[in-house]
Amino acid sequence: MILAIVLSIAAAVGLVIVLGTAVSRNLQLSRHSSSGKIEAIDVEAFRNLVDPAEDDYLRRHLSPAAFREVKRKRLRATADYVRVAAHNSAILIMTGQVALAEGDPTTVPAARQLVDDGLLLRRNATLALFKIYIALVWPSSGLAASPVLQGYERLNGSAMLLGRLQNPAVPVRISMVL
Amino acid sequence: MLQAHSFLWSYLWVAPNVFLLILGFLIWRRGLGRKMPAFLAFAVLSATGDIAAFLADVTPSVTAENYWRILWAGLLVESLLKFLVIGEVFSRLLDQYPAIARLGKLMVSGLGAMLVLLAALIAAFAQGDSTKSLISGAHLLEQTVFIIESGLILFLFSFVAYFHLWWDRVSFGVLLGLGISSFEHLATWAIIANASPSANVRTLFAFLNMATYHFCVFVWLYYLLVPQKVTAKSSFPPPDNNLATWNRELERFLHQ
Repeated sequence: MILAIVLSIAAAVGLVIVLGTAVSRNLQLSRHSSSGKIEAIDVEAFRNLVDPAEDDYLRRHLSPAAFREVKRKRLRATADYVRVAAHNSAILIMTGQVALAEGDPTTVPAARQLVDDGLLLRRNATLALFKIYIALVWPSSGLAASPVLQGYERLNGSAMLLGRLQNPAVPVRISMVL
Repeated sequence: MLQAHSFLWSYLWVAPNVFLLILGFLIWRRGLGRKMPAFLAFAVLSATGDIAAFLADVTPSVTAENYWRILWAGLLVESLLKFLVIGEVFSRLLDQYPAIARLGKLMVSGLGAMLVLLAALIAAFAQGDSTKSLISGAHLLEQTVFIIESGLILFLFSFVAYFHLWWDRVSFGVLLGLGISSFEHLATWAIIANASPSANVRTLFAFLNMATYHFCVFVWLYYLLVPQKVTAKSSFPPPDNNLATWNRELERFLHQ
């Protein structure tokens, strides 16, 4: 009986989500534009927050407890930046898709590029947030998720390279890593 | 009116399948079958299987055991085809977005394996609603298939919403119909297979299942046959952005 109730509730929730998505899709199509606003964010400040040299400096000059506290604050700030970047990417993805749907030959290539860059950024932001949350739990560990994420990135790099060979119009993002 | 084998019962069993066969024919005529071969196969074979089950139900010479065997065969074929349709829709969607295609395929494969395990576990703990294994097995199989199907469909909708992807009309319509049908059927089969409802309640659930499926066939007819409205163009160049810079920074961060 409990199983029946749990599965029925799960099914009802699922149905609401699917119908909600259907309604929002129709609204999106009728509005034909994004409702969000792009928030400006400082790349230099972000770079400073994630700089390993800064972490090393703080680790050397602070007690372990103080370092963990400062590190957590820096991670939270980093997460805020990443969330805003992900939000911006969502808006730009929608903007690009509107341009793609209109099919104007003069804007389609740029729109395609915008959508691809936006999707990559959203994916990277999700992985980065995952990495940040792990580091928040264990701030003195370095970044525990690195091997997993690097493995994923290598895999992804191969896929992107293959994609590039199959379709030269698709950029090889991994080659842009400094 | 809400009795087994009433006119409404027969209509709700047969009519959606006749509509589905007509849809299959029109899909084939319009050349959509090349784009959605799995859905075309689903429309034709699933409808044929359901009509065969109906004929077995109303033909006096068909024994109860043989009816359940026919139902089992139809259920197995229909389940396989539904998973093929879900895979087809996901492939169509991801083909438009090479930047996240790999991630999407990895995620859907992992989730599929987890859902199979979860559904098997739930089936193992189910009480069973009949002493005849042919009947209770069919109900458990229905529940198992709908758990996996609903999970995959929910994932696809969530994935699309998270990445703000745009559905093409056909894929969206196919998955919307399949989603509504699978969530409603999951709820009713979960109750039938685990809560041993009375015969009257089972009959009402059968009506609800058939009516929902009828509605879903109309959803498919609408999305596959009615053309999308053409909206006015308002071309503009994509805005300046620093997405590439942010991608560089995040990839560097991920590699640290």
